[in-house]
Amino acid sequence: METEEQAKNRFQSELEFVQCLANPNYLNFLAQRGYFRDKPFVNYLKYLLYWKEPEYAKFLKYPHCLHMLELLQYEHFRKELVNAQCAKFIDEQQLLHWQHYARKRTRLQQALVEQQQQHAQHQPPHSNAVPK
Amino acid sequence: MAAAAEKSTKERLLSTLDDLEVLSRELIEMLALSRNQKLPPSGEDTQVLDLLVQRDSEFHALMGRAVEQGRLQEEMISLQKEMDKRDSDIQQLQKQLKEAEHILATAVYQAKEKLKSIEKARKGSISSEEIIKYAHRISASNAVCAPLNWVPGDPRRPYPTDLEMRSGMLGHMSNLPTNGVNGHLPGDSLAAGRLPDILMPQYPWQSSDVAMGMLPPHHGNEFGPGHNKENEDDVEAMSTDTSSSSSDSD
Repeated sequence: METEEQAKNRFQSELEFVQCLANPNYLNFLAQRGYFRDKPFVNYLKYLLYWKEPEYAKFLKYPHCLHMLELLQYEHFRKELVNAQCAKFIDEQQLLHWQHYARKRTRLQQALVEQQQQHAQHQPPHSNAVPK
Repeated sequence: MAAAAEKSTKERLLSTLDDLEVLSRELIEMLALSRNQKLPPSGEDTQVLDLLVQRDSEFHALMGRAVEQGRLQEEMISLQKEMDKRDSDIQQLQKQLKEAEHILATAVYQAKEKLKSIEKARKGSISSEEIIKYAHRISASNAVCAPLNWVPGDPRRPYPTDLEMRSGMLGHMSNLPTNGVNGHLPGDSLAAGRLPDILMPQYPWQSSDVAMGMLPPHHGNEFGPGHNKENEDDVEAMSTDTSSSSSDSD
């Protein structure tokens, strides 16, 4: 049985580790070192699935790690991660996804600005016509 | 009613009619004969007459019986009709009952499904305040949405970067063996004891990503020798602890 202090430390280290799984470069690192071929390690990844429960998930700062953790349960994914191109592809896609909302928002803002500009452009001709 | 062994009324009527016919023919023959022969009639004609009268009364009785039987037969037919009507009513009701049962069964089933989903939703319910707080937390640190002024070259990422990893608790734990134990807990000494192969920080992605422009180039220079990030050992230590609990699920 572990003491409360040990339990606290274990909680924190598992929290940090599971979030590190959000980093595809780190996953590539682990794959190339052969950790994904190690059965105890694979069991550990399965054990880490408890972070999906809401009472644990609320501590996660980088939620992408949960998706990675789910994917890591599949052997095919673990095997693929040995390739650097795979890790690079995942990284690119992850970054693009990350930027998605920001880009959408800037697009909307631009559209709004353009609309306002058009509105402003239409005003002057009318104000000239009115006195007529 | 007439038993099966007895002759039917129709047969008896017909046989009585035959008898009557025979008797009356005999009587007429006797009378014709006696007129021709002028003999004193024997007692036969009285016998024949008696038989004739008897047969006649039998005939009348049988006719009465036939009329009665006809009446009963009509009654039977009307009762049968009534029975048929009742039968069809019952069948109609049976159909309606079956339909109603079917509808109710469907309704009950759907209600049960609804209850199940209500239960499921209730189980997963979280206060909206907590969700909003969490949403704030993950958005404020730009973990799920890129900062609006992000350009390629910005070191910020949706995952913990190497720097962050090394400055966390796991990163510090791995620094133990070279720095000596500095007040950390006994659990860490297990990690300290097994640090062999992770010391080579050759991260293969460093060279291949410079061309992309998405990853900041500083990844290539960050790692000095000696300190890797993790405690895959520590992890292994944990995994050996937990493999006993999780291996049974395999």
